[in-house]
Amino acid sequence: MHILICENSIDGIFSGIYHAYEKRYGHKNTQLSTIEGVDTYQLFCEYEDITTDAAISQKVANTLISRLGTEVYSELCQAISAYESPNERKKHINKAEAVYKTVVLGLSIPNGSHILEYLGNPYVNRVFQLSLSTFNEAHHMLGFLRFSELENGILFSRIHPKNYILPLLADHFTDRLPQENFIIYDEPRKIAAVHKSGSRYMLAEVPQADENFINQFSDKEQEYRTLWLTFFHSIAIEARKNPKLQSQNLPKRFWQDTIELSGNS
Amino acid sequence: MQITQEMSLMEKLHILTDAAKYDVACTSSGVDRAGNGKSMGNCLAPGICHTFSADGRCVSLLKILFTNECIFNCSYCLNSCENDVKRASFTPEEICTLTMEFYRRNYIEGLFLSSGILVSPDYTMDLIYQTLYQLRHIHHFNGYIHVKSIPGADPVLVEQTGYLADRMSINLELPTSDSLRKLAPYKSRKTILKPMRQIQNGIQANKNELMIRKAPRFVPAGQSTQMIIGATPESDFQVMSVAEGLYQNFGLKRVFYSAFVNVNHNSNLPMLPGGPPLLREHRLYQADWLLRYYHFQVSELLSEDRPDFNIFLDPKCDWAIRHLECFPVEINQADYRTLLRVPGIGYKSAGRIVQARKHGTLTFSDLKKIGVVLKRALYFITCNGRMMYPTKLDEDYICRNLMGDRTLIPREIRESGYRQLSLFDEGMVSPEAILS
Repeated sequence: MHILICENSIDGIFSGIYHAYEKRYGHKNTQLSTIEGVDTYQLFCEYEDITTDAAISQKVANTLISRLGTEVYSELCQAISAYESPNERKKHINKAEAVYKTVVLGLSIPNGSHILEYLGNPYVNRVFQLSLSTFNEAHHMLGFLRFSELENGILFSRIHPKNYILPLLADHFTDRLPQENFIIYDEPRKIAAVHKSGSRYMLAEVPQADENFINQFSDKEQEYRTLWLTFFHSIAIEARKNPKLQSQNLPKRFWQDTIELSGNS
Repeated sequence: MQITQEMSLMEKLHILTDAAKYDVACTSSGVDRAGNGKSMGNCLAPGICHTFSADGRCVSLLKILFTNECIFNCSYCLNSCENDVKRASFTPEEICTLTMEFYRRNYIEGLFLSSGILVSPDYTMDLIYQTLYQLRHIHHFNGYIHVKSIPGADPVLVEQTGYLADRMSINLELPTSDSLRKLAPYKSRKTILKPMRQIQNGIQANKNELMIRKAPRFVPAGQSTQMIIGATPESDFQVMSVAEGLYQNFGLKRVFYSAFVNVNHNSNLPMLPGGPPLLREHRLYQADWLLRYYHFQVSELLSEDRPDFNIFLDPKCDWAIRHLECFPVEINQADYRTLLRVPGIGYKSAGRIVQARKHGTLTFSDLKKIGVVLKRALYFITCNGRMMYPTKLDEDYICRNLMGDRTLIPREIRESGYRQLSLFDEGMVSPEAILS
């Protein structure tokens, strides 16, 4: 068995898929994995590290789009953006392997755009689960994310999502707030989406955020926050009070990114 | 009480949110509208919840009244003119500023504007129209707007407002016209149903027009309504029949049910010491989904002889147990509509089953991964001719096992105690009665 170790990113896994084809070990004898480290090595397996290459990744992306369609392509990217906890990694098929084998199956059937309907297939099913997890969190975050207006009028938002959903969020808010300057900062991953009024957004790595800059709120900011809190508290019906239902619908891990439940407003 | 002093925006927002909170609908669903690159806002068909309030309800829209002054005296309503409560009114500018500033901070998905009746229905409707006009054409707001149509307002005003809103609603308030006459003497079925019909016709005419040419859209997310549950003696059968009628004859998108809260401590209305009838409300919503997504009819779920829902089993399980002749269903062969009727299979998993089985036969473990709730479904299905465990297709047996599954009564209601269940349960069957 040949195990190709690739980086945990879209480019990384696509590069892995390219090499899995190119090396011609046969798909049965090849596995992809994003897990590094000697302690997980298995006997009778050859390990190879794959270097991430954006040009190669682009080739793979083009093939996937033309053969499987944009819908399948974006589902695959969504699956790759999902976070796998160490526990999940033990229990389930590795993300890179699931995507790789799904692509192999998709390219081998006559109508590849239907590949994600093969939910009986364990690899396809894993891709489906991962993609759904990313999609669901992104959909939650579209609502739970909050912008604060900085002194210079820029809208700033700090988020802590489990999955890499920043591009999905940035797409949504670029469409929604075309005339605003806004920044969405994924704090754990140190990546920010920066949108300038009237243009498309850009992703930027931010190793060290300037805390002074992002804590200088405009004069009006506190006023609207207080108005929002007034609204939030007045809208609840006392006779139906139900904190359990509240945290079931809005899981606690999202609370820190809101204004009304973060406990520091 | 007349307020002479100028009130702060904060105080107004507090009063007019508080007065609007008993309106149930807070959904921002039903319309897909991409941003246009200039104005602020877009809409997503599934809707987006922005937060959940302390009662666990979704907050999607800025739900406020324009004013809580009212010339009507509906006895269930906090804003009745006979009540001594603090009154306030927004100006259109204030509503626009709040909406725009909340929206750009991503607090809300849009505006839900309702109102008490100030001076006359026409006067109030005109104020609402002015507000929406400013919001759409001066502030260029492209997000979601849900607006209440005021009963008795001029049809011309209703129509003009409809071109600015995404969804319109007129509350039916109570399931029967008798109850309405008793509790809301200034409202009548006629003043409620007439604008409802007008909006329905408007939507249809607009759809026909849009097929031929580009035109402004009229109430693109459709209309909804709400009924108060538990203030009057109607049975679940009556309530659901009314809802079914509204879906079929008025083309409504949603009917909402609101568990009655006796805010006015009015002695003509039931006092509910155990709190609002939340479980009954929950069962009505479950049945409502069965009507809208699962092709059920009210006559299949309830009848004159069985006028109320079983509180121990959800309506779908209840139906399945009384129709064991339809089961078991073979997962690899049954058509979509048959799958929909199996407890534990939702419309999403039913769709996935139909897709996935084209490419190979499905097993029980596949079903689990697809999202089927097997602990509920296992009594009613076979995979490749086999059941998951050897079970009996027997009413008592399945019933006993399903009721062992405590999730059938929603957790939040279970934990708030069973005391309140007894309030509306007259004529309800006890677990022993079901089993015997």
